[in-house]
Amino acid sequence: MDFEPAYTPEQRAFRAEVRAWLDDHVPHVEGDQDSDENYAKYRQLGRDLGERGWLRPTAPVEYGGGGLSVDHAIVLAEEMDRHDLTSPPYYDSGGSLGGASILVWGSEEQKRRLLPPIFRGETVTWQLLTGPEAGSDLASTETDAMRDGDEYVINGTKVFIGGSHGADSFWTICRTDREGARHQNVSWFMIPSDLPGITVERMYLLSDGREGIGRGYKNTIYFDNARVPAENLVGGENNGWKVASTHLELEHGSGGRIARNVWFERTRDRLRSLPANGAHPLEDAETRGLLADLFMETEVQRLFELRNFWMNRTHQDMSYEGPQASYYRKMSGLRASQIMLELLGPYAQLNDAEFDPTGGRFDSYLRNAIVSLHPGGTADIQKVIMARRIGIGRGERERAGRTVE
Amino acid sequence: MDLSLSEEQQLLKQGVEDFVAREAPLEAVIELTDSELGYSPEHYARVAELGWLGAAIPEQYGGAGLGLTDAAVLFEAFGYAALPGPFISSGVVSALIVEEAGSEEQRAELLPRIASGQAIAVLALTERGYGWGPEGVHMRAASSNGDYVLDGDKLFVHDAIGATHFITAVRTGDDGALTLLVVDASAPGVSVRRLQGFTGSECVVRFEGVRVPASAALGDGGAVEHPLDRALTKAAPVLSAYQVGGGQAAFELAVDYSRERRQFGQPIGRFQHVQNHIIQLVNHVDASRWTTYEALWRHDSGKPGIEVASHLAKAVTSEGFVHAVNYSHEVHAGVGVMHEYGLTLYTTLSRSLYHQLGSPRYHRRRLADLLVDYDLGPDPLD
Ligand SMILES: Cc1cc2nc3c(=O)[nH]c(=O)nc-3n(C[C@H](O)[C@H](O)[C@H](O)COP(=O)(O)OP(=O)(O)OC[C@H]3O[C@@H](n4cnc5c(N)ncnc54)[C@H](O)[C@@H]3O)c2cc1C
Repeated sequence: MDFEPAYTPEQRAFRAEVRAWLDDHVPHVEGDQDSDENYAKYRQLGRDLGERGWLRPTAPVEYGGGGLSVDHAIVLAEEMDRHDLTSPPYYDSGGSLGGASILVWGSEEQKRRLLPPIFRGETVTWQLLTGPEAGSDLASTETDAMRDGDEYVINGTKVFIGGSHGADSFWTICRTDREGARHQNVSWFMIPSDLPGITVERMYLLSDGREGIGRGYKNTIYFDNARVPAENLVGGENNGWKVASTHLELEHGSGGRIARNVWFERTRDRLRSLPANGAHPLEDAETRGLLADLFMETEVQRLFELRNFWMNRTHQDMSYEGPQASYYRKMSGLRASQIMLELLGPYAQLNDAEFDPTGGRFDSYLRNAIVSLHPGGTADIQKVIMARRIGIGRGERERAGRTVE
Repeated sequence: MDLSLSEEQQLLKQGVEDFVAREAPLEAVIELTDSELGYSPEHYARVAELGWLGAAIPEQYGGAGLGLTDAAVLFEAFGYAALPGPFISSGVVSALIVEEAGSEEQRAELLPRIASGQAIAVLALTERGYGWGPEGVHMRAASSNGDYVLDGDKLFVHDAIGATHFITAVRTGDDGALTLLVVDASAPGVSVRRLQGFTGSECVVRFEGVRVPASAALGDGGAVEHPLDRALTKAAPVLSAYQVGGGQAAFELAVDYSRERRQFGQPIGRFQHVQNHIIQLVNHVDASRWTTYEALWRHDSGKPGIEVASHLAKAVTSEGFVHAVNYSHEVHAGVGVMHEYGLTLYTTLSRSLYHQLGSPRYHRRRLADLLVDYDLGPDPLD
């Protein structure tokens, strides 16, 4: 057993190349990370990464990926993480989730047409799953797509979608057979966002509203007789639930992650910088105890994600591990936010230029600890899936969705 | 034993509940909290007129002379509506400080104006190295020709915007004695700014060469630590009652939603996971409620153990309110985080009030100090 990745000489050389390149290309941003100006800079970084095949390093070259090995992908992820960035460095649910579904379920023609713009960072893609009537119960969507000649006509509403800066395309599942049996009546579509009949309206959530790190708006999307070319239906009519199982599996956390335990470090740093009232906070036994609690929460989470990364990249059969990591991340995030509130006192709540040098990092963490309980399936839904996969009270264990070709 | 509200208290409760239902439905409160002042001066004036603002202020000073429990009944209903405004900051916290620490002349001068809403007085105690009791006060006020001169910042001051007076805790003299100076908010050199973040009415109040006469100091020159502490010990469970009201609202929203919202062809309340959230939620609200009520009863009936009960109540309730809201969020999922739905009013309040008058950690520490020699009293079965 070895918890440390062993780097080959080739990886080391690659790391040197990536590090130098990122040092040159990662934009310098000030103020609100989500401002239009800063967003444009991150988009450019995405395009530059895509051009080199570094945005989706392991995806096949013919579809716009890098055709690189997992070893290379690890190095890229680690080096992006050094800059506090994920890949892509902005909100986009096309590359990792929708792209994966197309890779598994799309026709050769669709892969060549739909994937390159996503994998090269040329476009931004949003996932449109939740509707007012269908949240956890996604299969009950009442957004309809009815065939009419070479097109499907889409009507319905999707909520809690996307981010602040618009998207080039949407992917979604729609009901294609009103009378059909559950799970056999939906289909999966890639939809250009500029079709007539599509309206995007901003939503206001607890996680946004003011400037600062980690902000982003969500939207309501209305479809009013939007006509989508039939060639954009992926995986066959009424086969959408299977297509969705791929990205749902990934979204439920089975992709894993290797990353440093940043929030422990950030909290300890912030604690060091707090004005003292008598003895310094870090000399206080209770404070140290709380810091240890935070470490325990965040380390377990890091290890779950690390394990999943390893299982996913080495193509092992996965069971409950994805939803477990997701469930743990949600609940430990909430507990960690409570610890921060105690450790940093009211400073944890600030996003105030004068009294908070972090640019609102902790304010954002506290808000997001609540808001992140819901996307990608609620904590309860993760538990429901875990129970099925483990086979609690039933002989048959549900299998995880397919995430690789 | 009788844990019910008295007839008068029930009438009061009904009256206040009607008032907030009429004057402050959630949509209106959302708008108010987004406004610059953060509350409605009309509400404030109306509450004063009804005699509620001065509920706990003695009659001889223009108040209604009710007990703390009565005041708590009132403010619990305000918390239920998430009604914003300096009601507790001025009408309870500051009024109690003036009552406990002020001279007879100061009481007669300030309390009637607080009760009538003419004066809005707010305690400015916390500083950068935040602390919630006298030990957190380091700011000095220099003596100059018989005046005091204040320089420095007070942080995390609740309800400072719109206040007319700041009861400012400072250190004076060679011995650094704790002194409470009543500073006019319009005095030259005083400025107020709302703090940005996951916050409610918290502000920074800045004093730059602010001059006040020596007569601005509360009291007759005696030490004010104990009077201040007594006042805060009394005020804490009234604030807790406001938190209990907020927790109750988060509970009712969750129960209603569990009945209305359907997924997988059934009300979500049929799912045991959802039931569990609501059960944890109500446990937190009830734990908060009963620790708060007992503390209030001890105060009003002069029972021993007042301090222990107060610290217990504020610690349990501040934590309980945060957890209650979190569970309500789990029940609501997406809808609950939408600004227009209203649950997030309570979410923000639960974080903001967590620290007001002391965080759970602060109260736990004080509790621990008291518990070493605490006498639980006679066994009720003996
Ligand atoms: C910040 C944010 C970002 C989001 N981003 C996106 C996005 O980009 N695209 C998108 O499509 N959607 C997005 N969503 C929506 C998200 O996926 C849904 O909120 C989530 O799936 C839950 O659906 P719901 O809100 O309708 O809650 P509901 O499904 O109505 O759930 C209500 C309650 O019932 C419980 N429940 C429901 N079914 C069961 C069951 N079978 N067993 C036990 N408990 C159950 C839930 O756990 C919850 O407690 C986002 C949401 C948020 C808050």
